[in-house]
Amino acid sequence: MSGSAAIELHGLRKVYQKRRSEVVAVDGLDLIVQRGEVFGLLGPNGAGKTTTVEICEGLTEPTAGDVAVLGRRWRTGEDQQIRARIGVCLQETKFLDKQTVRETLELFACCHPSGRSVDEAMALVSLREKANARQVALSGGQRQRLAVATALLGEPELLFLDEPTTGLDPQSRRQLHDVVRTFRGQGGTVLLTTHYMEEAAQLCDRIGIVDHGKLIALGSPPELIRSLGGDQVIEIDAAGIDAVVAAASALPGVQRADLAGERLALTVGSVHSVVPPLLELLAARGIAMRGLATRQATLEDVFVHLTGRHLREDKA
Amino acid sequence: MNPRVVWTVARTTFREFWRTPEALFWTYGFPLLMAIVLGFAFQPAPPAPLPVAVLAEAPEDLRTALTASSRLAVEVVAAAAADAALARGRVAMVVGGSLAEPSLRADPTRPEAETARLLVERALRDRRDGPGTVHARFVAEDRPGARYIDFLIPGLVGLNLLGAGMWSIGFTLVMMRSQQLLRRLLVTPIRRSEFLLGYLAGRFVLVVPESLAILAFGCLVQGVPFRGSLFAGALLVLAGGLAFAGLGLLVASRAKTMEGVAGLMNVCQLPMWLIGGSFFANERFEGWLRWCADVLPLTQFNRGLRDVMLEPGGVGAIAVPLLFLAGFATVCFAVALRIFRWN
Ligand SMILES: Nc1ncnc2c1ncn2[C@@H]1O[C@H](COP(=O)(O)OP(=O)(O)OP(=O)(O)O)[C@@H](O)[C@H]1O
Ligand SMILES: [Mg+2]
Repeated sequence: MSGSAAIELHGLRKVYQKRRSEVVAVDGLDLIVQRGEVFGLLGPNGAGKTTTVEICEGLTEPTAGDVAVLGRRWRTGEDQQIRARIGVCLQETKFLDKQTVRETLELFACCHPSGRSVDEAMALVSLREKANARQVALSGGQRQRLAVATALLGEPELLFLDEPTTGLDPQSRRQLHDVVRTFRGQGGTVLLTTHYMEEAAQLCDRIGIVDHGKLIALGSPPELIRSLGGDQVIEIDAAGIDAVVAAASALPGVQRADLAGERLALTVGSVHSVVPPLLELLAARGIAMRGLATRQATLEDVFVHLTGRHLREDKA
Repeated sequence: MNPRVVWTVARTTFREFWRTPEALFWTYGFPLLMAIVLGFAFQPAPPAPLPVAVLAEAPEDLRTALTASSRLAVEVVAAAAADAALARGRVAMVVGGSLAEPSLRADPTRPEAETARLLVERALRDRRDGPGTVHARFVAEDRPGARYIDFLIPGLVGLNLLGAGMWSIGFTLVMMRSQQLLRRLLVTPIRRSEFLLGYLAGRFVLVVPESLAILAFGCLVQGVPFRGSLFAGALLVLAGGLAFAGLGLLVASRAKTMEGVAGLMNVCQLPMWLIGGSFFANERFEGWLRWCADVLPLTQFNRGLRDVMLEPGGVGAIAVPLLFLAGFATVCFAVALRIFRWN
């Protein structure tokens, strides 16, 4: 059993039946998460990330497909064995309002036959000074950290974190990244979901990009970025830019051109060789630039390339 | 004031309501259903005869005078049994003495005492030749064990257990469900039975002391007697507590919204408030109504507690209510565990 992957999903499908319509939340997903890796599911709102994760946690029953978690299957009499070895942080959980941080952790600690002490868990997410604060007196980020702490109590082998850093300030986020890295360093496996590309790139060994319930790309962050053909991006922001997409992508050294709104992103191997002819081209067509920027290619570019959309609206 | 704003708020509010079928049903459907059911149940009919007791040693003519009245249901009882019948509300009044000098005994705080007095006096007057006055002696019942308060206190303990079972268990559980806390617990290795047992214990810890406080108030302040075995009484309170906790858990086992659980709670509580025998005796009901009243856990509990308080009995004397409540609790817990919704 130790040879098996942490999670194996084959042909996973989940259809939500509403009175008249159906929503296909997960649409034929195949995925293997290896032991000891941090795997990130990246995708826009409604892509099916939470549904996928909750199927792995045994909370949602798939419509079709095969799910193996730590070599076992849900609803075959092994549920307790799986639960004893996983830690879960749901996308939203409201703990009881009038319980302190310590009391909440004590409740979850007693759910596990063995595991970390409450103090240790508080220290991991830096909530020690809030030990005696009640739930209602915690900020959103502190609640989020508490939720993560509850997941760590049972010393799980496999950790599910559904958007663990949403709403956290940069410092708490870094801290949480450290928690994840330490966990992995001790041999743990993590399946996390996120909207933050930077986070995915920094934290995950491998990433699966999900859109409309399908896995549209899979690989390590550098692999995914390399798949664009170049690792530099030139972004031009200008009205009427759509008229020059074809010409721009034909310039030597341009690997691909992705248009989103009035912003053109050119993926290139070398910025120096592309910028001069590009400026000439724009001048020749009489297009006035509002902005020009160059940067390293990111997972965002991969997503835009694959879907023609930005991962998060605010980036558009 | 902007009418468009008011209109939009009204529309939003209504829409939210309309899209919560539980809320809609319990607010509008259920009262309608009640009106229909009760309408059929209480078809216009002559009033049922009022039960009164005549002491066995009273003269024959007094007895026949009362039986002649179509408005009275006369029961002939021995003096000791008459007290019990009065205390338990099986009869509204105990009549003794003679035709010339009748003595009527009832607790005037009981709702039906005055009606009984008027009906009995009329029956006696009608029996006399020609219209005349009846010099009936009215004895206000004030001996501990036969008063209305002696009847009421056990009934209030029953209601307290019922209310605690319903209110303290249902709401928090449904809230924990709707806020995903139950799901979060479900993905840990905690056993469902461990969680539920702990939850019930935590919610119920105050119920027994509360029952004891009501009993203490009744016994010490109001002089309500406790003639039976204290152990049997404690056992009964425990069994009653479990029965109502089980019912509360059953009601909360699937509900997804507060409206849903509140509605189900009303369905359970309403019949018990009405015919569970806490405020009004249900001992003289007949036919289907009697059957309905008898299968309510509150009826069984009240009956048992009155038995053990007003009469010198032990566990054996309340075996039936005890077994009934224990069985009821078992069935509720078994079904609730089976159908419990975690997700
Ligand atoms: N209980 C449900 N009933 C009906 N549809 C649902 C239900 N839960 C999720 N969906 C639908 O399934 C799709 C996937 O939802 P899911 O929660 O998995 O998305 P997600 O990737 O986690 O999104 P987010 O980033 O916003 O958390 C969405 O279109 C959503 O509307
Ligand atoms: Mg989600």
